[in-house]
Amino acid sequence: MNNQSIDSMNAFFAAGMRSGASSDQIAELTAAACRGIDAALTPIVGRLGAAALLNRSLHLTARTHGWLAAQGEGNQMALDVAALQSALAQQTSAEAAASSVLFLTTFNDMLIKLIGASLAERLLRSVWATFLSGPSVQDTTP
Amino acid sequence: MNTKVEINRLATGVPGLDEILGGGLPEFSFNLIAGQPGCGKTTLAHQMMFALATPERPAVYFTVLGEPPLKMLRYQQQFEFFDAEVINRSVRFINLSDDAATGDLDRVLKRILDEVAQHDPALVFVDSFRSVVLASESDRRPHNRLQQFLQQLGMLMTSWQATTFLIGEYFSETDANPVFTVSDGLIWLRQSVQRNSMVRKMEILKMRGQPTLPGLHTFRIGAAGIEIFPPASVSIAAAVDAPVPQPPSRLAMGVPGLDDMLGGGLPRGYSLLVAGPSGSGKSILAAAFLAEGARKGEKGVIAAFEQHPSQSRSRLIADLIASGQVGLVDSRPADLSIDEITFMLMREIRRLGASRVVIDSLSGFELALAPTFREDFRESLSNLVTALAASGVTVLMTSELEDRYTDLRFSPYGTAFMTDAIIVQRYIEVDSRLLRVMAVVKVRASAHANELREFSIDAKGIHIGEMLVGQEGLLGGRPTTKQAGDVYPPGAISEPRAPVRSP
Repeated sequence: MNNQSIDSMNAFFAAGMRSGASSDQIAELTAAACRGIDAALTPIVGRLGAAALLNRSLHLTARTHGWLAAQGEGNQMALDVAALQSALAQQTSAEAAASSVLFLTTFNDMLIKLIGASLAERLLRSVWATFLSGPSVQDTTP
Repeated sequence: MNTKVEINRLATGVPGLDEILGGGLPEFSFNLIAGQPGCGKTTLAHQMMFALATPERPAVYFTVLGEPPLKMLRYQQQFEFFDAEVINRSVRFINLSDDAATGDLDRVLKRILDEVAQHDPALVFVDSFRSVVLASESDRRPHNRLQQFLQQLGMLMTSWQATTFLIGEYFSETDANPVFTVSDGLIWLRQSVQRNSMVRKMEILKMRGQPTLPGLHTFRIGAAGIEIFPPASVSIAAAVDAPVPQPPSRLAMGVPGLDDMLGGGLPRGYSLLVAGPSGSGKSILAAAFLAEGARKGEKGVIAAFEQHPSQSRSRLIADLIASGQVGLVDSRPADLSIDEITFMLMREIRRLGASRVVIDSLSGFELALAPTFREDFRESLSNLVTALAASGVTVLMTSELEDRYTDLRFSPYGTAFMTDAIIVQRYIEVDSRLLRVMAVVKVRASAHANELREFSIDAKGIHIGEMLVGQEGLLGGRPTTKQAGDVYPPGAISEPRAPVRSP
């Protein structure tokens, strides 16, 4: 994901917020992104490698959003996506959106630092494409 | 009708590798890339993979335990051959650590087969294979099981029509490792360390069905990846295929009077040794030789082995290099091999279509060689001169020579025998002044002057003066005035000696 895509993600969540997306919807989208990342990276870096990257991002995000710290305390060998989704759903929609954006951009920045922007973009292209072109938050509003 | 199978040979994309493999990589072969950590195995594998992989001929790169894949990707992308855009298209990385961690080789084999069946690759890499071996050591009979695993993998990959590479750390080729028997090709990478220099070498220990070039071949890892320097004989063959433009049969030296001393210029294709003490004007003579070539439209190449090239290189040479009339092969830190220098010289000669080559100087050349090659310096130099001669260029080499007034020496390396012509420069003392004298000692199969001529150097170059006919004992360094009636006729021309080879 390049800067333009990060802006797109911010805009995506902002649009959702304006249209009154619920915490549940934001949590569902973030969980889907995590599963996409895991599916894209595990074959290449191994289960442990992918989980370590996601857990590290969660740990860094928890510095700003303290309630996330509890999510990273569990098993470092895997990320409990269901528990993260459940915890996000319990936040206000504004907090869920802000922490989700920070978590996903932190993850992406970290990957770029490790393997470079072009390779990171290549490996996660389909994940972000699905994420950003998927049903937008406002579309799923009841 | 010819019913024999024709083995397709793949171009590896690694400069020099196809030559030492004996014509490329046999398709569907089962190969091992071995060597100690840090010797370039993974880089070699990646370079071949990115060169060979296409959407029609995709590659799968299995990573096992060993180096974490993220780090491998982080470092390999520094090379120019790494193309992130083809990943997950023609190149796919697959991590087997979860399967290998169990130590169950059947599970590893099954996973490899599943992935191969799914992606149908034409190229398969397993890195590192040693990890698989270590993982299997929990087995009760690891050796038997490993051999069985290898045979199965080799057979299956051949059946799947995949050219396969196992990348592994093996510390000794005498180790009776079953993989050596099973593999079709065995590429061994080494690092030879002597004093402060490290030289990388590659050996093709085995490549079924084709004539590989035996011996250790030096290679270098740079931004573009691995570059291998095949032996000088390969450079010679390439040079014979593409002969350089042929100038007239005698080359002008660019120093007035010197052509006459040489019997009409330096015969084309000859190697000339200019020997003399420090500061006697060898490099200036070499520069004049190149400048004269440039004036006549003949390109040149200079291999400069100086301690401080920017300071000591003459303005004349710098201008010729800047104008593109002379190519430069620069010295590097002391880790060159003779094959690398030959390769670089031949590449530059071909690039420019050069017909004049200068090596300045042999002493600097020796210092630029990695210590491990210095023992063979004389033999290596002979190979270099042979390679250059075969390509048809005319070579001028300078050689630093300490003035010894008790004997007449031309080179500290015994190189005199391998050169076709020799010019020697000396200092002499006359009337409390240090003067320079020059003589043509040898021009093979040609008449040449036998005069010892005084010469001077100014901003315009070398000026050859007269013989010091009133003096004798010049080579002793301290000539004396001859007695009246002892004067020899000036301008004497020696008779040619029996021709050794025709000019």
